[in-house]
Amino acid sequence: MWWRALLLSASFMLAAAVLVHYRKDREYATGEAAQAMPVQGIVMSGIIAGGGQTTPRRNPYSDDGYDLGEGRRLYRAYNCNGCHANGGGGIGPALMDERWIYGAEPENIFAAIMEGRPNGMPSFRNRIPEAQAWQIVAYVRSLSGLVSTTAAPGRADQIRGTTPPGMTTRQEPVPSGPPQQP
Amino acid sequence: MRRATAVALPFLLAACSRNPSVLLDSAGPHAAATGQLFWIFLYVCAAVWALVLLLLGFAMTRRAAVIDAVTPPSDTERRLTRWVACGAGATVLVLTGFVAASYATDRHLIGIESGRHLEIEVTGRQWWWELRYRDATPSNWFVTANELHLPVGRPVRLVMRSGDVIHSVWIPNLAGKRDIIPGRANEMVIQADEAGTWHGRCAEFCGLQHAFMQLTVVAQPEAEFAQWLEAQRRPGAEPATDEQRHGQQVFQQGPCAICHTIRGPDAGSRSPTAPDLTHLASRASIGAGAAPNVRGYLGGWILDPHGIKPGVLMPRIQLPADDFQALLAYLESLR
Amino acid sequence: MASFARRALWTLPLASGLARAEPTAAPPTASPEEDGQWTMPAKDYANTRFSGLDEINRDNVRNLQPVFTVASGTMVGQESAPIVVGDTLYFVTPYPNILFAVDLNAPAGRVKWRYNPSPASSAQGAACCEAVNRGPTYADGVIYYNTIDTHTVAVDARTGELRWKVKLGEYSRGETMTMAPLVVRDKVFVGNSGAEFGARGWITALNTRDGSIAWRAYSTGPDSDVRIDGSFNPFYPQYRGRDLGVTQWPADAWRTGGGTVWGWISYDPDQDLIFYGTSNPSPWNHEMRPGDNHWTNGIFARNPDTGMARWFYQFSPHDLWDHSAVNENIVLDIDWEGARRKVVIRPERNGYIYVIDRTSGEVLAADPFVYINATSGVDLRTGRLQEVPEMTPTTGSVMRNVCPNAPGAKDWSPSAFGKDTGLLYIPHNNLCMDWEPTDTSYIAGTPYIGVEPRFFPGPGGNGGGFFAWDPVARRKVWERTERWPVWSGAAATAGGLVFYGDLEGWFKAVDSRTGEELWRFQTGSGIIGQPTTWRGPDGRQHVAIMSGIGGWIGSMVSHQLDPRDPTAAKGWGNMMGALRDITQPGGTLHVFALPR
Repeated sequence: MWWRALLLSASFMLAAAVLVHYRKDREYATGEAAQAMPVQGIVMSGIIAGGGQTTPRRNPYSDDGYDLGEGRRLYRAYNCNGCHANGGGGIGPALMDERWIYGAEPENIFAAIMEGRPNGMPSFRNRIPEAQAWQIVAYVRSLSGLVSTTAAPGRADQIRGTTPPGMTTRQEPVPSGPPQQP
Repeated sequence: MRRATAVALPFLLAACSRNPSVLLDSAGPHAAATGQLFWIFLYVCAAVWALVLLLLGFAMTRRAAVIDAVTPPSDTERRLTRWVACGAGATVLVLTGFVAASYATDRHLIGIESGRHLEIEVTGRQWWWELRYRDATPSNWFVTANELHLPVGRPVRLVMRSGDVIHSVWIPNLAGKRDIIPGRANEMVIQADEAGTWHGRCAEFCGLQHAFMQLTVVAQPEAEFAQWLEAQRRPGAEPATDEQRHGQQVFQQGPCAICHTIRGPDAGSRSPTAPDLTHLASRASIGAGAAPNVRGYLGGWILDPHGIKPGVLMPRIQLPADDFQALLAYLESLR
Repeated sequence: MASFARRALWTLPLASGLARAEPTAAPPTASPEEDGQWTMPAKDYANTRFSGLDEINRDNVRNLQPVFTVASGTMVGQESAPIVVGDTLYFVTPYPNILFAVDLNAPAGRVKWRYNPSPASSAQGAACCEAVNRGPTYADGVIYYNTIDTHTVAVDARTGELRWKVKLGEYSRGETMTMAPLVVRDKVFVGNSGAEFGARGWITALNTRDGSIAWRAYSTGPDSDVRIDGSFNPFYPQYRGRDLGVTQWPADAWRTGGGTVWGWISYDPDQDLIFYGTSNPSPWNHEMRPGDNHWTNGIFARNPDTGMARWFYQFSPHDLWDHSAVNENIVLDIDWEGARRKVVIRPERNGYIYVIDRTSGEVLAADPFVYINATSGVDLRTGRLQEVPEMTPTTGSVMRNVCPNAPGAKDWSPSAFGKDTGLLYIPHNNLCMDWEPTDTSYIAGTPYIGVEPRFFPGPGGNGGGFFAWDPVARRKVWERTERWPVWSGAAATAGGLVFYGDLEGWFKAVDSRTGEELWRFQTGSGIIGQPTTWRGPDGRQHVAIMSGIGGWIGSMVSHQLDPRDPTAAKGWGNMMGALRDITQPGGTLHVFALPR
């Protein structure tokens, strides 16, 4: 019957489209592209003396489940959880809410990891490869639902008991100003 | 003839390999007992198989008697019943024998396992082995990786844990497999009765590099082993040359120290994330058996570990040339 | 005065030779007669936190009213004791550790001067539990206190001029300083914080003259570093032996082993010994540090001049639960089984009140004061805490319902001793937890913890309370339950009152005999500070408290952490989220007095 043929061919086309769009060859040796990029500080403002060319750098790893998983592993291996817990914060601010002191863009978070922040965030420059920092950035953004839900992990393990990133509703970032200090 | 050679060659060559990782080439009482059990099973099963084939042949070649298929004579039926009963009886007998043999072997193994032993914690991680040697004095505890040293002729208790997913320890020449479940400590006792080097494997699929997660087992005579223990307990060698000193600086202040440990007064790091390198140069291979531990491979490993072991969790490390050479010099000095 | 009358009643039968027990008392050398001031956070060397003033008493306290307030300009945890010397009140803010001098002459409340030591702001990232400060101390015209970036400063008490400032540690290696110093003769004793960052703990004696280091005693490492020599004579055999601070650790782990000194120091002039506690070993995950981990989680008695250790006792050997043993050691003389004993009394984080002979380090008693299931008691013969074997956590699995939890039955918040009643007044927690050890790395300047905890209220469902303890009868006399853990210190007075505050911001006065609440005042922000009471230049008795939620327990409010994560604030996220709706960040000094 004609509609069966139509349905069949439509599903084939859909499958092909999905393959084309979502299939990704996994590069386990985490990205040469990001690795090779030297960082010359991160521009946080769009106003540049002399109108220098700044294209904000995009996180090459934000939409890949493998990279998010690696980000999660590294977040623990590098003691990020010691201060930021599993996103709720502690010594450092919460990462799962909508408030971002220094901006929620990937490059802002990347800069925080690499350069540190004045109220206690240490700098990991020269300690962790840039590619890994980007993976951590992706994981950090997943905590407040800022990455694709198709890539974010759908479960949180053991005691942590927090909502897994894959089920977190997106927390629309709100710039919150500097931390309360005199 | 050529084809026959081609078929036979792998088998012949396999026989040449030193210390093939097979249970039957036992080097300790556990593997020996299990091997013995294997031979019992093999011989008995072979005998049963031969008997069955013999009877089958006999049945096929025997001149068929003319029988009434619809109503067989009662004496034929009686004979058949007797045959079946004999067969069933023999099967029960053989199986009972097997159970008894297994039970006896288990008891024998448990007998070896009781008592006080050297205890070693084996932690399976993706995709390498962390080894922690226990001692009555806490300051004698130390951590190493991927190369399990044992004293000859002494039972060793392995306390096995996982740092991430399910693994399984299998050192065929010494003992059977034992799984490692996250959140639990599983135990196994092994013993090597002769000096030698064998290879253990992870026997439970654990990710990309599951196949290359090698545990090198080195059994040493008691005196040699004591010497090794003594050396491993010492902190990492202090750099002797300027280049090595520079290398130590690169290690401690660069990316290495955030995952790897080198014990010593200036320890900048103490981390279970990656193998302990305090005595790296004393080990024969790097990357859990991925490559021999020589300068060329070590350098290649640091620059691009994924070229040697794709998917390994160590990232590529890019360093300026002199830093890189100094780092290699330092790592090579860690005897 | 009424207190004298009561004391006379006590002593009368004794004088007449009747078989009447002598009351528990602080030795007069360690706790002199009332002079109307409050010059060190713990009031006196004996750490009694007792004032002999009785103008404010149980009959008139209901009339107590605010006299003035001073805004500290900071909005995180206010743990400082407001100390009073003559006509001036001093307190220290959390980071940036500004020292305030407040004029008490009419019109009271004017800020005379402020001293700002300008600590490095990055050091806040090395403070486990907010960049708090537990207060300044006064001696001979000088105020001494510590800054978060590991400096000790000496400031002229009159002018606010800096006398000296010395750097004692590295915050980039996780060291900070939050404790209140103690001055004995010409030495000021200070200690570091940072056991959550793998800092190696120490106590340091500085010469009051110029701040130069007289001696430093570490809490881990070889005997020479710990200042142990032939004069060390501990009561129990497990503390005897060479270099136990090395051999009771895996190789080199003592270098990052914790044992910091961030609590209280007390002093017994008769024996010339200081007593102080050492904190938890690092990291929290006990599987990473086999051994008893000497000399963490214990109490040291040391000679103040040489720093040499006299005795030691370890409350929680091979700590499983972050039971940091830095609480106050109250110096008392007590009738014990027919004999008069010199003791220190220590309400300890692991849930037991210890009575320890302060001449030898022998434990006379260790009685539980909260619900405990992690340990079954203390073996008085060996001095060892008896752990319940089934309650041993392992890496990668969750140990559920452990009581008491990591902040313990009682954290640093100091108790008071009523000289008039012979009772101890103890703020405490009623908490349990789930505890999951994990792998962790020592990376200098980052936390070194290795545990995912989750806290919740213990049996009864209340977070904590406040009780009076009779150290002779070894029982609670009265007890008040509170919805939240009580994180403020206590102060007792001869007026029959005990003052403390709660996390909702209520500052309370209760009857020291019955525990009945007689007065309360809402200070606007949760209280984790230490009350003091003193006589102002106008001759009236005043009570002072810093209000301002924060610290480990209050950071859920002060840093607006996210309670959807139960492990936020290292476990408090699970139960302190509701407090965000009840109180708000603050930072104010409140001073009260009776109306004229």
